[in-house]
Amino acid sequence: MTVILAIARRELSSLFRIPVGWIAIALYLFLAGIVFAYLIFNPGQPATLRPLFAISAWLLLPVAPAISMRLVSEELRSGTIEPLMTAPVSDGAVIFGKYLGAIAFLALMLIPTVLHAALLWWFADPAPDMGPILAGYLSLFLLAMLYSAVGLWMSTLTPNQTLAFLGTLFFLLVLLLATTIGFEYAPSWLRPVLAHAAIQTRLVDFAKGIIDTSHIVFFLSASTLFVTLSVFTLESRRWR
Amino acid sequence: MLHVRDVSKSFGRFHAVRGVSFALEPGEIAGMLGPNGAGKTTTIRMITGFLPPDAGSIAIAGRDTVTDSQNARRHLGYLPESAPLYTEMTPRSYLDFRARLYNTPRTERKPAIKAAIDRCWLSDVADRRIAQLSKGYRQRVGLAAALLHNPSVLVLDEPTNALDPTQVREMRRLITELAKDRIILLSSHILAEVELTCTRIIVIIRGALRADGKPSDLLEGKSAGYRVEWKSVSPEADGRLAAQLHAIPGVATIRQEPTLDGWSAATIEPATSASTLDLREPIARALQSSGTLVRTLERQRASLERLFVDLVEDVAADDDLARSQPRSGQ
Repeated sequence: MTVILAIARRELSSLFRIPVGWIAIALYLFLAGIVFAYLIFNPGQPATLRPLFAISAWLLLPVAPAISMRLVSEELRSGTIEPLMTAPVSDGAVIFGKYLGAIAFLALMLIPTVLHAALLWWFADPAPDMGPILAGYLSLFLLAMLYSAVGLWMSTLTPNQTLAFLGTLFFLLVLLLATTIGFEYAPSWLRPVLAHAAIQTRLVDFAKGIIDTSHIVFFLSASTLFVTLSVFTLESRRWR
Repeated sequence: MLHVRDVSKSFGRFHAVRGVSFALEPGEIAGMLGPNGAGKTTTIRMITGFLPPDAGSIAIAGRDTVTDSQNARRHLGYLPESAPLYTEMTPRSYLDFRARLYNTPRTERKPAIKAAIDRCWLSDVADRRIAQLSKGYRQRVGLAAALLHNPSVLVLDEPTNALDPTQVREMRRLITELAKDRIILLSSHILAEVELTCTRIIVIIRGALRADGKPSDLLEGKSAGYRVEWKSVSPEADGRLAAQLHAIPGVATIRQEPTLDGWSAATIEPATSASTLDLREPIARALQSSGTLVRTLERQRASLERLFVDLVEDVAADDDLARSQPRSGQ
């Protein structure tokens, strides 16, 4: 566990030492700010952050891959993977440590958006219901976990960060489009699969304050799948 | 102990390493030599556990690098070629991270980091970002990280890369000092450096072990050439002598130059096939029969470079022979 935490800590502090970390934070807060200013913080509107949470699948789309793209790719490109993988550390610990670092960074990135909730609390009458807000933050965290896991896996596949970024973006974009717009055009046999893989509908539920266990299980199991794939991909590099 | 037993590794159809075996004891400084692409780095990567061998086994302090990989790695310090580092970190924070990877207890961490910083002359730059450091300093940070947990086997891939001459000398001293109670395996392209530092030479060419032993044993009986100085009477007489020397079987080249005091000097180089023969007697006879006054005839000790070139040429000659055989059979 000490080793996993050491890797996570290094990853997290590195993300705060490189421009891409700060640009990702700025981009997310800028997008979230626009949503808040134009869709939420208006006179006569109900005091809720529901639009922000419901649209988060799209807001995080360019941000999470920018954070995850370097996780393993950068190690492969710079060669630092060699001293790391010749230390007494398992491949699983390397991957899990990096994953932990990335989701910790994304969680910290979400903290300034608490200001949005505080503003609603301060100005709105009646005060906003805290249940949906807390459920919304839980959904944001679960979404960050899933996106980071996909991004982590992509970064184990290539030493090129741009490729890892574009691969993650493409994968998530196809998933989002297929389960929203694509759903209507999909053949009937494919629809149950697409409905199960749908992120948007689950986020809407969370935004309403509905914490459905199946949604939590979906995000956790999908994230576990991609983290496990990352471990296998990293391990397979030794045998190539 | 480091035991490498009959290891092989292929990448697709390319056989990078074929049946390499050797064993090293504490106190030994082994220099691994070979041309580019010979399989040195692949062998090193198998020893460090970064790559598993396709066949054979490697044990560090009795721990197999595949079946007991993590315990084997605890006994290993490794400086990869060009010392890859996290450039956004400082040397101190990087060493702290490395200490945590090795589960060094909190109380031992700070003294171990300080000792590694002092030992690798990093005190002045310990809190600067690695991105701002020169290549030489980065090399030293990599070495400090390899030494941090006091490993019993230290593997250094091109350790003097990017160091200036003073640092190379300090590095040589440090390696000798470190080898007192551990095994050091290093690869280098600088043969003179290896000759000065190493107590054991391992030569790998085309993935196979071509030589393994103490430098003195490997160079035993090998000659780099013969130095002859004689009184020059006339250019014609010198020409006759040169012709006689050329006629000696095993003589490859003769380089002649005048000395400052008016004598003639020549370096006679033997052919690769005759490098173990002693040609002093036929040279002396040639000088005697031409009636030349001689003041020097000495056999020069072969350098590691000569040994290396001979081995590479031997392999190339074997390859030529292997290629020509099927044709002659047609």
